[in-house]
Amino acid sequence: MNQFVLQQQGSDELRLFPHIHELGSRKNVSIHLNTFCISATETLRIYYVIEGKFDWHIHGQQHIFFPGDVALILPGQPFGNEQGVLEIGSLAWIHLSMHKSENGNIVPGPWSGLSENESIAICKILSLNNSPALLKFTEAGKILKCIQDELLGKEIGYHARVNHLLDELLIKVTRQLSRQVNTGRDFPKSFMQLEQVLRQNLSHQWTVEEMAALVSLGTTLFTERVKSYSGFSPINYLINIRISEAIKLLKRPDINITDIALDTGFYSSQHFSTTFKKLTGYSPSEFRKNHLPNK
Amino acid sequence: MKSIITIELGTNAVRVFAFDLSGNVIGSMKGYYPTFHTEPDYSEQDPEQIFITMLFVLKNLLNEMIHPKKYKVACICFSASMHSVLAVDKNSNPIGNAITWSDTRARKESQELKSGEAGRKIYTATGTPIHPMSPLLKITWLRNNDRERFDQTSKFLSIKSYIIHQLTGEYMTDYSIASATGMLNIHTVKWEDDALRYAGITADMLAQPVPVFASAGTLKKAYQNSLGLPAGTKIIIGSSDGCMAILGDGVRGEGKANITIEDSGAVRVMGDKVLQDEKGRFFNYLITENCYVSGGPTNNGGNIFEWFARQFGDFKGPFDIENSMQDLITDAAKVAVGSDGLLFLPYLLGERAPIWNANARGMYFGLNIKHEKIHLVRATIEGILYEIYSIGKTLEEHRNITSLSVNGSFGTIPLCTQMIADMFNKPVQLRRNFHSVSYGTFLLSATEMGIYKSLDEAAQTVVLPDEYLPQQQNHPVYTAYFEIFEKLSTKLFEEFEAIVQLQQRYGVAAKTEIEKI
Repeated sequence: MNQFVLQQQGSDELRLFPHIHELGSRKNVSIHLNTFCISATETLRIYYVIEGKFDWHIHGQQHIFFPGDVALILPGQPFGNEQGVLEIGSLAWIHLSMHKSENGNIVPGPWSGLSENESIAICKILSLNNSPALLKFTEAGKILKCIQDELLGKEIGYHARVNHLLDELLIKVTRQLSRQVNTGRDFPKSFMQLEQVLRQNLSHQWTVEEMAALVSLGTTLFTERVKSYSGFSPINYLINIRISEAIKLLKRPDINITDIALDTGFYSSQHFSTTFKKLTGYSPSEFRKNHLPNK
Repeated sequence: MKSIITIELGTNAVRVFAFDLSGNVIGSMKGYYPTFHTEPDYSEQDPEQIFITMLFVLKNLLNEMIHPKKYKVACICFSASMHSVLAVDKNSNPIGNAITWSDTRARKESQELKSGEAGRKIYTATGTPIHPMSPLLKITWLRNNDRERFDQTSKFLSIKSYIIHQLTGEYMTDYSIASATGMLNIHTVKWEDDALRYAGITADMLAQPVPVFASAGTLKKAYQNSLGLPAGTKIIIGSSDGCMAILGDGVRGEGKANITIEDSGAVRVMGDKVLQDEKGRFFNYLITENCYVSGGPTNNGGNIFEWFARQFGDFKGPFDIENSMQDLITDAAKVAVGSDGLLFLPYLLGERAPIWNANARGMYFGLNIKHEKIHLVRATIEGILYEIYSIGKTLEEHRNITSLSVNGSFGTIPLCTQMIADMFNKPVQLRRNFHSVSYGTFLLSATEMGIYKSLDEAAQTVVLPDEYLPQQQNHPVYTAYFEIFEKLSTKLFEEFEAIVQLQQRYGVAAKTEIEKI
């Protein structure tokens, strides 16, 4: 791979790609001090190790990377070498600027060909990720190489190709992330992990696509598996968790019902009330009255 | 047309069945609820989620299979897993999650009680082995380690008691669930003072024990409305899943024993006498006055075979463990009886009956250079079943067993059923694709309704159409290998303890995965 760094400020090659903040590749033959200090940026950073061994801190945790491994750094996460050293070896990287949508979700931006739902799903999965090290993920290296070639070659259609490749990179990274925690052999375990994520993010408007992607399955197979394992469709299972959590909150006098509804992922207190009554026969306020102390 | 609804609150899921009055299944549905392991030896469930899941599944079943066909619900009857403990405050709101049967946090309390004369006395009176599973020891643990929760607690309930309280407002527990708490005297059917004193509670902190046929009260108005059931719908308290599994197979009286192998397993007999075992190896649970279900439970059943399949099976698609296991079973059948001299101790999750050693661990023994993967497959299955045989043999010290029945997803795999017949050298009966626990609960309901005069009579109507006969040439082979298996299971006592210490010291994964049961 050629050595080069393209940056948004100053590189003509990126004029058509305002979302590519930086793209580079480097062969480092001697240790450089104070060139790789820990810092946080507003971009999504992806580093691919071609040669060597790198000792990096990501979001407060130490990880060691070998050839073929990928480091994934979300916007705002501190990243670098603890001593500020760039070790000997070869690297390729990209820094992508992300957009914040109206409702606060981080999405790729207008350049991307991903649908709105898929964008939200992909970014949700990236943000839930607690393992920033994607091991033996050489596909990412190939995509980065292609992006570089397209940018430097400027053949007909390269504008579209680069953006396609960026989408592909995001998709592949997302799939690799969930594949890494889901071996495809232990559904009870994967389902339990999914359960946990749903509970921790109950106010999020989960889609089946997002849930399926978390256990590394397509929606068809996912829905089938969840149904046969749990007896419920994924959405009904989620409603189950929502109502169960809501019941616990209703039994505490200090939270108002609208907050409970939104915290547990219902669109509104009306939506909560209807769903709750349909299942239990009580409205949330009746239920609360029956369970508060000294009724 | 009338129907009987049974609700089984099992280890991982609620199963709701609808039967007609002749015992034919109209339909069934299940709903999963999760078990949380926040600490290595903790095993907890959310009582609110269990309740909501139960309600959801019941409502769906009624709306899809009962109301549209104009069935009238004659009664609803419950069964549930044993040994759960849920602390509730004076407003009957749960304090924390329910602690389930497989929780082993009370290990220390259990060892303390077991080592003294008090433990022996309590076991003899209550019939529940002194083991961390026992609610007696879980409550003792709460008193010693979670004083705040203990002090706020108004009542210690089982999961089933909580669910029934939600539906009807009554606080009650049936004899069989009560007799699995380690605190009910199964001879007098009263709470045992020694046990209550040991746990540091009074009888009014437990639900009222009632016969399994007792009415559990009237459905609250809101649930009558949401479920579309009339006010007069009878709610029967019912029994435990273990007791219903043996009743559902019609096993009652001399000479008969029942084997259940799902994830875990048990060998049980049912009769009018308590098994007084000097070594405290068996449970004795009360169904009705003078009717006891006795036996021994194992931690290591179908879950161990699933473990094997996950590690070594071929997966053609993601999470396709069913086909992977099927292929392994086919492989196992190609190997000779006794796996050409390869033995497997299945104690991956420690063991209860008959060795009652939480430190026991798994082992392949006798490997030689000619053994192939398929030998390991068969040895794994044989090892799981030797353990079942081992429980059966200790039961035979007290009861004469002439025929067996088997249920549960692992036990009813044809290869497994044949192995059981060969190991025990006794005929084994079963009904495939059959839910024994729910059917037992149906028989109980039907008896309450007067369709049968007694549980005895109800049990006699059960027909198990399939029978596996022992193949004479296989039994001596299994017996010879079993002798070594049995010796190994106790001989390695010190090494089991030593390896567990090392696993706890050096092995992070071992600590969180293995110690659950």
